[in-house]
Amino acid sequence: MNKRKVIEKVMLGVISSLAIVSAIPIFAIVINIYSEGARHLTLDFLIDLPPPPVGGRDGGIGPALIGSLILTSLAVAIGGSIGFFTGLYLSEFSHTRLAQYTQMSLQIMVEFPTIIIGLFAYMILVAPLKRFNALAGAFALSIVIIPYIALNVREAYRSIPYTLKEAAFSLGVSAPTAYLRILLGTAKRGVLTALLIGMAKAAGETAPLLLTILGTTFTYFGGLDQPINAIPLLIYNFALSPYERWHQVAWGAAAALLTIILTIFIISRLMVREVKI
Amino acid sequence: MSSEKIFSIFLIAFASISLLIVTGIVISLIVNSYPIFLMDSLSFIFKSVWNPVKEDYGILPALLGTLITSAIAISISTPLAISLAVFSTEILPMRFREFINNISDLMASLPSVIYGLWGLYVLAPILYQYVMIPLHQYLGFIPLFSTKPIPTNLFTAGVLLAIMIVPFASSVIREAYSAVPYYLKEAAYSLGMTKWEVIKTMLGYIKSAIFAGIFLALGRAMGETMAVAMVVGNTFTLPKSLFDMGYTISSLIANQFPNAEAYNHMIPALYGGAFILFIVGLTMNLAGLYWIKKVMSKG
Repeated sequence: MNKRKVIEKVMLGVISSLAIVSAIPIFAIVINIYSEGARHLTLDFLIDLPPPPVGGRDGGIGPALIGSLILTSLAVAIGGSIGFFTGLYLSEFSHTRLAQYTQMSLQIMVEFPTIIIGLFAYMILVAPLKRFNALAGAFALSIVIIPYIALNVREAYRSIPYTLKEAAFSLGVSAPTAYLRILLGTAKRGVLTALLIGMAKAAGETAPLLLTILGTTFTYFGGLDQPINAIPLLIYNFALSPYERWHQVAWGAAAALLTIILTIFIISRLMVREVKI
Repeated sequence: MSSEKIFSIFLIAFASISLLIVTGIVISLIVNSYPIFLMDSLSFIFKSVWNPVKEDYGILPALLGTLITSAIAISISTPLAISLAVFSTEILPMRFREFINNISDLMASLPSVIYGLWGLYVLAPILYQYVMIPLHQYLGFIPLFSTKPIPTNLFTAGVLLAIMIVPFASSVIREAYSAVPYYLKEAAYSLGMTKWEVIKTMLGYIKSAIFAGIFLALGRAMGETMAVAMVVGNTFTLPKSLFDMGYTISSLIANQFPNAEAYNHMIPALYGGAFILFIVGLTMNLAGLYWIKKVMSKG
């Protein structure tokens, strides 16, 4: 073998092993989370109140799970509709100046440290009400997911063939009917994927919640103007607590969260794959 | 008014919201942080003190923490991200490529609090045992490794960040790599180049995309909050080595904000930190977008 061949073999080996090293953590994370947390995942765990640090019952993550469901649904409803119409505008009126500015804003938003969005929500909805509240959390999560949804919806509408758009409009229907009834059928999977991506983001996002909902309440839902808990926030608070029992709850909650994220991820992948065929 | 007109006004209203939000956030950062800059001017950035009782704040250690952890992250993740991109587009057999790309996308969509939990209880002890202690023992005379390590510190945060941003940087590079015109690759092979030489040529061709990936990933690393807050040690001292416990700006906000209301100037100080973080992060992202534009104009 000449020198070039040897160098090739060595370099390909180096690249492959570095690539494999960079993929190891994901497997380690999934395995560790489930080996520590899966055994906690019982029905009781999902609905019970968190346990006291010592003594008493084993407890669960009920309030946090309900809080996460409420916050995520609200965020997808608010952020989803804003993101959807923004994406539609960007796709169909891409030549306008507003579209350029909006596009730029979305690119900045997507890269924003989410804790800064939390600070913004704090100023708008927490400071005036003088109380940490669920609405502020949902507001912050909505802002976090708008750019993801808008950019993906834009792609979904953009990928509709031009001939199809012409055909829709040649039916003589109004623009809203064409976009929202006829063409939405074609863009459906893309739009759903966008919403799923937003949902996964909202379900796992933590930083803005720290400044908006605070979280450590031991009650179930008490109204949108009251503090609320969420699974990611519970993981953070309990993992950093000094109590071993709370660490265990954190692992169980992480297993629940990971299951939610994995489910959403797999569904969105299956939908994308079907589109390709 | 026709329904067309109403509909387009409706869409314009929605499209303006993002613009309003970004403007609102920038204004909120300026309005809420100006008291601290008024009080301390620029010494707020260059002072190392966090004394709520005396209402004296200077963000320097956290700013350094942000820079150090993201520097560690970027130097570890760059070779990994490039390798992962090349591996999945050039080396791996076709039928495994979608799998590895899915794995990488999944990594990018895991919540950071899950990385944080794993980093705190799995990664930190491993790094402590097998990396930090040996480095401190044998290379402790180098200032970088001079502090006697404990598991949660700037170094752990940097490594965890590296793991988190690899898939992100790699997907930027991957996209550019697979967008290189096929005839270029054919031409390279037809010159009798080995695969490695072809890869080298291709990487040279997409240099801008690699820079873009690095800068965008750097922006992410700087803004990342939860995972870092869980492993960085949360101690407000000027870092002297990589093994010092520290703070980053975002973890400082996460950690201090819940009790900030008890003091007069802590909230402005934290907004001030956020404002600096915003400026630094925006610079990184604009640099990244600049390089992406360069890639686009090439293709």
